Amino acid sequence: MSTPKAFFDAPLSEPVNLSRRHFLASTAVGALVIGFGLPLGSARVYAATANPTERGTQVPAFLEIRPDGSVRLLSPFMEGGQGTHTAMAQIVGEELDADPATFIVEAAPPGEAYVVMENGMRITGGSMSVRMSYPTMRRLGALARAMLLQAGAEQLGVPVAQLTTQPGRVVHAASGRSLGYGELAGRALDMPVPDPATITLRDPSQFRWIGKPVKRLDAYDKSTGKAQYSIDIKVDGMLHAAVQHAPRLGMTVGSLRNQAQVEAMKGVHSVHQLPGAVAVVAERWWHAKRAVEALQVEWLEAAADSTVRAMPADFSSDKYRDFLAAQQGPARDDENEGDVAGALANAKTKVEATYHNQYVNHAQLEPPSALARFNPDGTLEVWLPNQAPDMFRADMAKRTGLDPAKITLHSPLLGGFFGRHFLYDSANPYPQAIALAKAVGRPVKLIWSREEEFLRDVLRPVAVVKFRAALDAQGLPLAIEAVSATEGPSEAIAGKQGEKLDPTALEGLSGKSYAIPNKRIAQIYVKGPTMLGYWRSVGNSLNDFFYEAFLDELADKGGHDPYELRLHLLRDNKRLTTLLQAVGELSGGWKRGPYTAEDGSRRARGVAMASPFGSHAAVVAEVSIENGQVKVHHIWEAIDSGSIVNPAIIEAQVNGAVALGLSQTLLEEAVYVDGKPRARNYDLYPILPMSRMAQVHVKIVESGEKMGGIGEPPLPAVAPAVANAVAHLTGQRIRSLPLSRYTFA
Amino acid sequence: MQLRINQKAYEVDADADTPLLWVIRDDLGLTGTKYGCGLAQCGACSVLVDGNVVRSCVTPVAGVVGREITTIEAIEADDVGKRVVAAWVEHQVAQCGYCQSGQVMAATALLKHTPAPSDAQIEAAMVNLCRCGTYNAIRTAVHDLAKERV
Amino acid sequence: MNNRRFARTAGWLVLAGAVAAGVLAWYVTRQPASPFEQQPAAKADPALVSRGEYVARVSDCVACHSLPGKTPFAGGLEMATPLGAIHATNITPDRNTGIGAYTAADFDRAVRHGVAPGGRRLYPAMPYPSYAKLSDDDMRALYAFFMQGVEPANQPNIESSIPWPLNMRWPIALWNGVFAPNATYAAKPAQDALWNRGAYIVQGPGHCGSCHTPRGLAFNERALDESGAPYLAGALLDGWYAPSLRQDHNTGLGRWSEDEIVRFLKTGRNQHAVVYGSMTEAFNNSTQFMSDEDLNAIARYLKSLPGDPQRDGSPWQYQAATARADTPGAHTYATRCASCHGLDGKGQPEWMPPLAGATSALAKENASAINITLNGSQRIVTAGVPDAYRMPAFREQLSDAEIAQVLTYVRGTWGNNGGAVDAAAVNTLRGHTDPASSSPIILHMR
Repeated sequence: MSTPKAFFDAPLSEPVNLSRRHFLASTAVGALVIGFGLPLGSARVYAATANPTERGTQVPAFLEIRPDGSVRLLSPFMEGGQGTHTAMAQIVGEELDADPATFIVEAAPPGEAYVVMENGMRITGGSMSVRMSYPTMRRLGALARAMLLQAGAEQLGVPVAQLTTQPGRVVHAASGRSLGYGELAGRALDMPVPDPATITLRDPSQFRWIGKPVKRLDAYDKSTGKAQYSIDIKVDGMLHAAVQHAPRLGMTVGSLRNQAQVEAMKGVHSVHQLPGAVAVVAERWWHAKRAVEALQVEWLEAAADSTVRAMPADFSSDKYRDFLAAQQGPARDDENEGDVAGALANAKTKVEATYHNQYVNHAQLEPPSALARFNPDGTLEVWLPNQAPDMFRADMAKRTGLDPAKITLHSPLLGGFFGRHFLYDSANPYPQAIALAKAVGRPVKLIWSREEEFLRDVLRPVAVVKFRAALDAQGLPLAIEAVSATEGPSEAIAGKQGEKLDPTALEGLSGKSYAIPNKRIAQIYVKGPTMLGYWRSVGNSLNDFFYEAFLDELADKGGHDPYELRLHLLRDNKRLTTLLQAVGELSGGWKRGPYTAEDGSRRARGVAMASPFGSHAAVVAEVSIENGQVKVHHIWEAIDSGSIVNPAIIEAQVNGAVALGLSQTLLEEAVYVDGKPRARNYDLYPILPMSRMAQVHVKIVESGEKMGGIGEPPLPAVAPAVANAVAHLTGQRIRSLPLSRYTFA
Repeated sequence: MQLRINQKAYEVDADADTPLLWVIRDDLGLTGTKYGCGLAQCGACSVLVDGNVVRSCVTPVAGVVGREITTIEAIEADDVGKRVVAAWVEHQVAQCGYCQSGQVMAATALLKHTPAPSDAQIEAAMVNLCRCGTYNAIRTAVHDLAKERV
Repeated sequence: MNNRRFARTAGWLVLAGAVAAGVLAWYVTRQPASPFEQQPAAKADPALVSRGEYVARVSDCVACHSLPGKTPFAGGLEMATPLGAIHATNITPDRNTGIGAYTAADFDRAVRHGVAPGGRRLYPAMPYPSYAKLSDDDMRALYAFFMQGVEPANQPNIESSIPWPLNMRWPIALWNGVFAPNATYAAKPAQDALWNRGAYIVQGPGHCGSCHTPRGLAFNERALDESGAPYLAGALLDGWYAPSLRQDHNTGLGRWSEDEIVRFLKTGRNQHAVVYGSMTEAFNNSTQFMSDEDLNAIARYLKSLPGDPQRDGSPWQYQAATARADTPGAHTYATRCASCHGLDGKGQPEWMPPLAGATSALAKENASAINITLNGSQRIVTAGVPDAYRMPAFREQLSDAEIAQVLTYVRGTWGNNGGAVDAAAVNTLRGHTDPASSSPIILHMR
């Protein structure tokens, strides 16, 4: 392993002609230089972040062009299936003039140089990666191209103005000479980075890769088992660890009844007590796992001064919902326009309804793991899935007392995330892995078994929302009020409500575009006993269900078709009108049904919209009831993210969001009884299987507006579209999820 | 005990009840086969044993001595497997990719037994879980493979 | 809700209500005689206490009188009945809330005769009709253990929620008069010592008949020893079918050797089966702690109980499924079950049990097959180590109809002939049962 100094001092021209395979393998053992030439901690880097115009201008920190012309890009964003690495290759490649197929993309280490988002952050989440870094990453590619051109001019001895590029080559048309990027890289990357102001970006009409269905860079490796995730990483001398968590968070280890017996079990290296957990370190994970399960622990109730959110012994998710429903306030307003109280008081028709949702787990397929190694020079290396490397490294520094510069964080591919890999106190394995590595003096890879993961995963919040609405004489909505008794994930992580409302608590109730003159959206903050987190599309994943399903109630009550009502309420909103019409057309023209399909099944359709994460989506769902269960036949979804980078990946993301949306709609629910999750594995926490997936039809609408997100926006409108279809088909109002709690004839 | 994996013989020192999965991953370093649930629920650990798809997380290693085991690492050495991988790339199936080793194994086993599966047969056989929702891409890829044969 | 002992007590309470009118009060409140009557309280030697601990293991007292993570023997296990819940009592030597004030004779009357001090009758959820056969020596040891080997715990008993007049206990005395023996086990001179030891454990402390012997109209076990044909012939209890322990080829132990019986009781598994359902508790808390000699004795005794070919049907033989059946049940089996139990139904002995030839697939009663499929298995903890593999619960994944289809397939393939399962039966059990915990449950005695 190179010391950090050797890391950054490695000469640019050092032969790096490694095969990709070799490259990945050696990265896995931390043996390869990364980000050579990266002046981490230098005044220049900090200057860059201080000044947004210099964000993402540290070209050598991001790019390595190898002698064979392949381009290694260190991405500020993590690849967890959403395709961001491919998108980064498209964006940078477009301006660099290098085919994205020649790119090798990996996650960059922590460091100010990689803070490229326009909000001054670096996280992979909130569907922000591409939209928040798009101009910056384009400029990065263009800067690199300028450097290659300059190097070409020097090498060929011609004025730079006479040079152009073709993908991967600098060309001197006049003489017919050309040089591959690989031949110029050493010289080019020694050059000073040009002034960003001198850079001209490519005219979008000339794009070759941006906006095209470029193939994912990781498709082959992921189809052949070659892709490496945290859980796969191995280093020399490594031991394996497994844990048994306290049955309820906050409980601590009292005594171990059979420590000697477990220590004597085959393969066991040592037994350890950790905060709220016991661990076994062994030569093999299987031995560690069986041994730690055999440990008989006397767990003590959480102390009064417990620093974690202690789970009460009598906590029941069903009872907690009743508790939320009984909350009377006070409520704080997020939106308040017009005169809601007056409109309600004078309404010809009033509609009231109470909605709620369920807790859900992330249930990503890769169980959490973390590998920690203390190096002889006192540095710490950690490999783990994460969505925010700088935050994680800072937390590790805090926990270990090490200078962040002495901590190397590797961020392998994520085996699914959906919000699981943020910094959640008590829900990440690395504090345990670091403690164990320190205790045994050897590298330790800790894997949480699926059962331990379900015990510590953070949950998507629940809310009970009370709606009131007034209809005018024409049956059109005059006022709407939604008061949500809930705790948002951000305020839950903070442990308290902030000065401002937590936007992740109400998004999807707030921010709706329907022209209803009087509206009030408010939150009753209720601090709950469960650890909460972000779940794909966060607040919108529940709130758009509430709002859009209630809107259908208003349509029915007022005697309006729900699709027509939405068009009416969006009559002054050209963008959303276009979108709604697009999904109508996509589905072959709006028809609500019920009608009899070719196969004889009785079907109906529902419509819903959502505007999460800077994008807008409209969904039509077609359902029937089959053997008492809801069957979703089709989802038609139109999505407008302003502009796009890769339509094929967008279509895949819409499919993925629909799957997760259907999963939470049809069958998912984390149930707690006596303070414990009823499900500790997929057997009692089923997630959507193929047999319940719908056919998905996608229409991408490019309005040309500011670029929005893609990973999350297609999800929130799925649940209400399905619920509205089911309600219309069965006559039974759907005011809660999942639908498996309902009985359909 | 001796195992035959991907046409190679391996001498393995493991307890008889150790799941094949952990022998493959930790003892032999073949990490393409994934741990997802340990309970035969998700299918990420699928391998072929004598051509049948098996969940290696619930397969005691002693039970597969003398049988022919194929993991994802050697799937392209199999004619059907090679076509499945090509279809997976062509249809850009993978998202996070964690379940895809198992999906490819399941599809290979299906197509070995049923070269031209119907939609219902695909649904009945492809029960591996995918949290990213690649199901439609999988279905399309398998249908395409079925068509190639016809 | 724990409905484990539901059936065992239910009939009792109905009977109690029915005959509550008019009887001989002296009879129902009298104190049975005890050979320990005049025995002075003396400190027992540690060997006796230790012997008593073994008797408590064999008698599986902990199964009802302890709760996971709580003080041993402090009681609390809830047993649901249609009339209300009753709870196992505190049997620690605490003088106020436990049995610390019991004399040896009091203890004897409670354990062997179901009569608490003051003449109050215990509900026969306490298996005193079996414990009646315990020897005086074992009783003495058991008393020594509970007085000196168990930590006193101050934990008041939970009153039953059964309303008056159904909560009157005296009618139980009448039932006792008819159905509960009051003699200790008497050795059969025609049999050898091993057989007699086995008979003693099976009939007495082991109380195997509580689950495995069919019950009569009064919820009495229809036989209490080998002299009655129904003895250990298989019974339905609390959502599980406890199979025949007689030499029935298909539904009993006819195909098991003595060694295989020993192995099953000692390790929880053999080539034929793995413990599941209520037997997991009996194994985790009791049988694995028995000495090899006692297990051999049990096996010897059980092998001497003849089967009933008429009840059992023609002997099962493995038949290979000719082709992969194209039914929904067969598909479900192939994708959900075959990884562990094999496409050929032969399982992966001794880790995953075969379904070909399994009692649950041959017995007419299908409760066990449905229950294990709905709820999965409890963790089997052998010598302190939880099992490597467990059966998942399918209640959240498969509908009643799908479970019925797959079990119909299992019970009709590989020579199995248990018969079809209908969705209504699945639905009924679904409503009455809960999924098994994925965490190991260990009940300590000290």
